[in-house]
Parts: sequence; structure tokens; C-alpha cells
Amino acid sequence: MSLLQMEKISKTFGGVKALSEVHFSVNEGEIHALLGENGAGKSTLMNILTGVVQMDTGQIEFSGSHYPHPTIVQMEEAGIAIVHQELNVINDLTAFENIFLNKEIVGKFGLLNNKKMIQETKDLFLSLGVDINPMVMVEELKTSEKQLLEISRALYADAKLFILDEPTTALSGDEVEHLFGILRRLREKGKSFIFISHKMPEIFEIADRYTVLRNGEFISSGLIVDTTPQGIASDMVGKQYVDKNMYLQRKLGDDVIVMRNFCGHGFKDINLTVRKGEILAFTGLAGSGASELMQTMFGALPATAGHIAVHGQKIHGGITSFMSHGVAMLPSNRKENSVLPDLDILENLYIAEHTLSYKAQIIHKKAELERYDRLKYMLNIKAQDYTDSINSLSGGNQQKIFFGRWLNTEADVLLLDNPTQGVDVGAKIEIYRLILELATEGKTIIINTLEIPEIVKVSDRCVVFFEGKIQTILEHEDINEHDVMLHSTNAVILRGRIHDKYKDEQTN
Amino acid sequence: MTNTKTNKPTKKVWDILAMTWTKYSFIFVFAIVLIVYVFTIQANGNTFKWGHIAAILSSQNTVIVGTIALGMALVIITGQIDLSVGSALVLCSGVTIMVFNVTNNILLTLLAGLISGAICGAINGVLVGFAKMPPFIVTLGTMLIYRSLTLSFVRGIDPAITGSSSSQFSLLSENSNYDFLRMKFGTGSIDGLNIPYITFVFIFMMLLFLVISKNTKYGKSVYATGSNAKAARLTGVKVQWIKVSVFIITGMLVGVASFVQACKIGNVTPASSGKSYEMYAIAAVVLGGINMSGGKGNLLGVFFGALSYTTINFIIVSIPSLSTDIQDTFQGLVLILVILIQTVGPVIKERFLDMKKRRRSKKKLTMI
Repeated sequence: MSLLQMEKISKTFGGVKALSEVHFSVNEGEIHALLGENGAGKSTLMNILTGVVQMDTGQIEFSGSHYPHPTIVQMEEAGIAIVHQELNVINDLTAFENIFLNKEIVGKFGLLNNKKMIQETKDLFLSLGVDINPMVMVEELKTSEKQLLEISRALYADAKLFILDEPTTALSGDEVEHLFGILRRLREKGKSFIFISHKMPEIFEIADRYTVLRNGEFISSGLIVDTTPQGIASDMVGKQYVDKNMYLQRKLGDDVIVMRNFCGHGFKDINLTVRKGEILAFTGLAGSGASELMQTMFGALPATAGHIAVHGQKIHGGITSFMSHGVAMLPSNRKENSVLPDLDILENLYIAEHTLSYKAQIIHKKAELERYDRLKYMLNIKAQDYTDSINSLSGGNQQKIFFGRWLNTEADVLLLDNPTQGVDVGAKIEIYRLILELATEGKTIIINTLEIPEIVKVSDRCVVFFEGKIQTILEHEDINEHDVMLHSTNAVILRGRIHDKYKDEQTN
Repeated sequence: MTNTKTNKPTKKVWDILAMTWTKYSFIFVFAIVLIVYVFTIQANGNTFKWGHIAAILSSQNTVIVGTIALGMALVIITGQIDLSVGSALVLCSGVTIMVFNVTNNILLTLLAGLISGAICGAINGVLVGFAKMPPFIVTLGTMLIYRSLTLSFVRGIDPAITGSSSSQFSLLSENSNYDFLRMKFGTGSIDGLNIPYITFVFIFMMLLFLVISKNTKYGKSVYATGSNAKAARLTGVKVQWIKVSVFIITGMLVGVASFVQACKIGNVTPASSGKSYEMYAIAAVVLGGINMSGGKGNLLGVFFGALSYTTINFIIVSIPSLSTDIQDTFQGLVLILVILIQTVGPVIKERFLDMKKRRRSKKKLTMI
């Protein structure tokens, strides 16, 4: 029996089609895996379902009622609860206060009934088998505990349909098993789940049905038992995309970056050498320290011990001293860390170079425009007028501008933190090509990403991080989804059974 | 380069008008205010003359508040606020006048204003930028401190230095340069045009900071800091230093304003001079179309904002039925109205576009 029915959902953001005529349905008492690469439209679809974003056209039927213009409040009341990918717990409150946020139990005179809330939280944690003290400040919890808290909070809501957006990113092997146990029990009680994940083994372990989106379009849907990981993977990425082998063997030069016992916030004792022209991939789950290491290599976070040398020179100090040694970083989370929303396209492009050439204060517009035109051509940026707002560009073109921002500084070490986040497939391929081209020209590139196909496409070596340390370093020919996942979850033993099964299927 | 402008000619006249409206709204605001002023003058039975415009250009609210507002604009563009400018003006004017009385040297007098202003600004800046305290609170504190320091000093200092036996600082008319400073420069004006010299001090400062904000790397990093401080830091902008520097610049502009105050008025009374000037400066900035949330704004707008503010004052004063007690109410109302248009305008525009889009998509649906 169908609980949710979404028909012909379309949505356009500023000229970019995010969804076109997408179908999606969830039955009562099932776990439905929603699959697709980043930028495929999963988040947009879920944002429409939860009322965060308004659809352009389409129909939504949930539990027998139609919702032509769903709002957040409406959908919450209808019985849809969501666990976001980013942790939305509030650090300054206790665990139980987080559970009861905005639905506090109040006694007489509108005063909080803390005793009852604590008891209910205890009962909830007990029934879910979560080992967290309700009175503890959330700040003191580990990332995985915060994720469990977030999931518990959603499950406390008496919803019919739960959306779990990558709920296992910070969980260890047995915590995932535990979560799956909870989900199975709730499924038996008739609850439904939309399960969004990139981890193929998990999907095959827990989900009943699946739907694949690609480029904002509906691709396929069916029972998990009727398909294989390869089938889903090729649906997700598209045939021609899978076959494209872009990787080029290149000759590497001298050592450019040397780190010795390098320590900082979230990582420790990193010993690593990167050579000229090399493309190195960092990967690891949230909290593994890979992103923190990259930020410390750019001076955005302070190092606590050890040292880093670029071109044989030890670097201390902040961002500008790293920049003057030719290091550049394209940060993750473009909107928060790259976009200067009130500045135009040209200003967004030249700002990083200006902090290096600050001694010549006057801006020579003609020279700047020449450089802009050159980069625009080289990066194939689709922009009309350089005085347009940066926000008038699509995600992919914005990201290319920020690539240009750093190429403009003529840095020879490029640190790319999740560079294809929120970028459409076409622009992604262009970015991969660009990375390979730049490396061939002799630039040293480190790319931090969770997308393993991306790593396979471009990198010479892959450094897998786990809990702030280097777990292993894989050579290009040894990089595959299975092994990287195994090392990044430290699940070599714990989840070996399932992974072996998955590997068998893959080799068959 | 060739294809960057190709789509321009296809734009309709309305689009161009709409664009100039959003970009140069401060000129329209001033035009509207001026038209209202013309009507009130005629309603009073007088005719509008060049003298009225000259009066706007030479008013204290234009010249002194306007100069301070240039700095305030930079502070606001970085997403901060400076409430201490009125008190700092009194302090700096005191210092400026005393230095003139003692040295009789015009250059040293100007330098005294600049340096004392820079120090006042630097104190704000260091507390905000490096000690990471909220600018509202810090400058609220220094607002109280700067004025009360000046008040207590003025009583203790020899009248030969302060230039006055009552509780104020006053230029000594016995000094040989007094005539030039006060009579020629401070209150004199260009023959025929009736525009005082000191107005050109303001215009020069406006042009100087217009160039700095538009054509220098420093200027762009000020906007970047206000637009997204986190992203700006990650491009190598020294965000903390930028935040400190705009306070120092504001202080120096207060120094310039204090020099003008000394020349134009000839004295300063710590108990009453420069009161609420921080609010007037903010009003001029807002009327100049600079967004309080930071990151954007044109310093040319501050010039027109200062003119608009002065004109609004003139309008209110020239309505005979309004008592002086109620005048501030109308000032406040006009200010709120302008901000309302600024903030609500874009929201209404967005709603309108959204509605249009939805109607169009519905049409498409029915066609199918």
C-alpha cells in the first residue's frame, strides 16, 4: 500500500534544472533507498517533500491527502520527520533538551517539566538501545553519538515516514548494525523510511526498494533483490560516464610538500611526502581529520606540533604566509567559504591575487579583465557580464570562478576540499580534466573527497584517514570503492562478512 | 572582452531605469526630498532660490556629519557600527582648538585633529578586532568615555589654553592665524556661488574615499569582509586588520570633521556639541542606500544621504505648525520609512517574480 506518491516533480533554480518530472513513491512499512550522485537532485526532492523548497510543478500525495503547496509545518504535522546530513543538534543544550526542542513538555504556568522530559528521554534511549546520558551537554558527545542523538530525536516524533539523509557517515561498524536493528524493528511496526546513502553495502543490507536519480531525472526504481550493485551504480553514473577512463600516468618530479609528525585539531602524527605534479587524494568519513589536515596545510587552522615544508621551506603562520609560498586552497562548502555574495564575478575572481600583490594598491581594470578573459576561456566559464552578481551563476560555474581565483595567484600547490560538491555532472568532468591538465603542467594537487569514483578518476595515490590518523595509503591501481570504504570505517574485521558478500557480487 | 557587452542593447529602457534605480536610489531619494522641500517653501509664501541649495550644502549636518558618515559607511560595510563618533568629535575638537591656541600653527592644528581621531578610532578598533568584543557595546562604552573625559578636562585646564572661561573650548581670536582660519576659511565661501570652502573639504574627502573604495585592493577587501568574512579570510584577506582599520579611518575622518568644526563654529561645548551625531551619521549612511547588514553600498550615496538628511531637517523646521518637541518624531518616521523601502522593496520584488513564474508554469501545464 502506497504511503507517499510524488508525481512529475519539477524544479528550476535560477535557470538550472534541478528536477524534471521525477516520480517517487514509498510504501507503508518499507525502507526505500533514494540513490544518486551528489547533485542528482535527491536533496532537492527531499526539500520539496518537507516543504523547505516549493516545487514548480508536480503532485504530492501523502497518506491519502494531496499537498499542492507543502509547507514545513504542514508536512511535519502530516507525519514526515527528517534526519539531516549535517548534524543539527544544538551543542549548548543537554541531550534531552535537544530531543524536546520546540515540543517541550510544560506543566502548570507554562513552566518546563524537566523531570518528565528526562524520564521520557531515558525511555526513548532505552528502547532504541542508545547509550547516552539525557543530562549530558551535547558539546561533550562524540560525533557518532551526536548522530545517534539526531536520529533518536527524529524517531521520537510520532511520524509515519522518516527521511534519513546519510545517517551513517559518522557511525562505526557496530553502531551501523545497531541502527539497522532499530530500523528493522520500526519497519515491522509499519513505519516507512527514505534512506539516502552512498554506501552500497548498507543499501543492500537494509533497503527493500530503491529509486535512482541522475541529473535531476528519474532513472530507475525497483526491488533491491532484483538488482545488483553494478546495476545501480551504472544507473547512478550513466553508462558513458562509467566507461570514461580519464586517468593518465604522469612522470612525477621532486618532493614539494613534506610533513613530519604534523599535528593539529582533529589529526595527529601525519608523515607524508607529496611530489611535484602528483595528484593525491585524501578521503575519510566525517571527523576523520582529512578536511582539518587540509585546512591546516593552508594555515586556516593552527598546527599544534610537527612541521610542514613546501619547496624545502618550513612554513609557520597563517593563510597569507602559505599563500606567499604558492599554496592555494579551494575550500569545501562553497556558499559558506568561497562565495562573496555582494561582490561581482570579476571581484570574486581577483580577490585572492590582490592579497598577494597588496603593495600595488591601485586596481588596473584593463589588466584584470585580460586575466579574467584568459581564465574564463581556459576554464570554459559560462558567464555573461563580469559585473553580474556571483550568485547569478550555476554551482558549477561558480566553482570554476573559484578555481580561477586560485589559478590567478599562480600557486603551484592546489588543495581542493570537496571540489565537486553541488556541481552538475558535466561540470564535474570538466573539473576532473582540469585537475589532470594542471598536474601535467607540474602543479601539485591534493583533493579531499568522499566520492570514491572521483578518486579513481584522477588520483595517483589515495590517503585514507580514520580518527585523525593515516589508516592506509593506496596506489592508483589498488583504489576501489570496497577497499577505501573498508579502511575508512576501520571495518576490516567488523563488517567483513557483508563486504565479502558485496565483493563477490562485484567480481561475478 | 568582446562578448561581455553584447546583450546590453537588447535591454529595454525600463530595465535600464530599473537598474539605475536600484544602483543609484540615493539620487532619487534626494530628488524626492528636494521636491518636497520646494513645495514647503512655496507653501510658506517664499520662492525657491539658489540660496536654499547653498544653505543645504553649507549646513553642519552636511559638512561635519557628512564627513563622519563617510567613515561610518566603511564601518557599516564591514558589518560593524561606531556609536562613539559624536563624543570623539567633541574630544578631537577640544584637542584641535587647544593645539591652535598654543601653537598658532594651522598644519599642527590639523595634525592634532587627525592624530587624536586616529587614537580614538584605534581604541575602538583594537577592542573590537583583536579582543573580539561586539562593536555596539565597545563604542557605546567609548561614547560615554570620550565625552565625559572632555567634560572633566575642560574645567581643569587653564582658560588661556582652552580659549574660554566657561565650560567650552574656543579658538583664541588673539592668535595671528585666527583671521585666516575662522574668517577666511571657516566661514568664507566662493563668491557668487555662495558655497563655503569647507563644503569642498567634505566633497574632497568623499571623492578620496570613493576612489579608495572602488579602485584600491584595500577598498575591495573592506567589501569582501562585510560580505562574507569567513570566505574573505580564506582568500587571504586579513579580516581582523580590516575591521580595525575602518575604525581608525573613521577616527581620522572625525579628526577632519573636528578641524572643520573648529574653523566653522570656532568653539565646542563638551556638554552639548556633537550630541546624537552618531545617529545622524547612521541616518545619512542609510539614506545613502548603504545596507546595514554590510557588504554593499556606494560611498557616493553618503554624499547624497547627507544632503537628503539635511534637507529633511530643513523641511521639518520650515513647517510652522510643528513644534520643536515633535520634530524628532518626524525625523525618526522618515528614517524608518526609508529603511522600510530598502528592506521590504527587494522582498516584494521577489514575491512578484515568484508569482509571475508560477503563473507561467501553470499556463504551460494547462496547454499540455
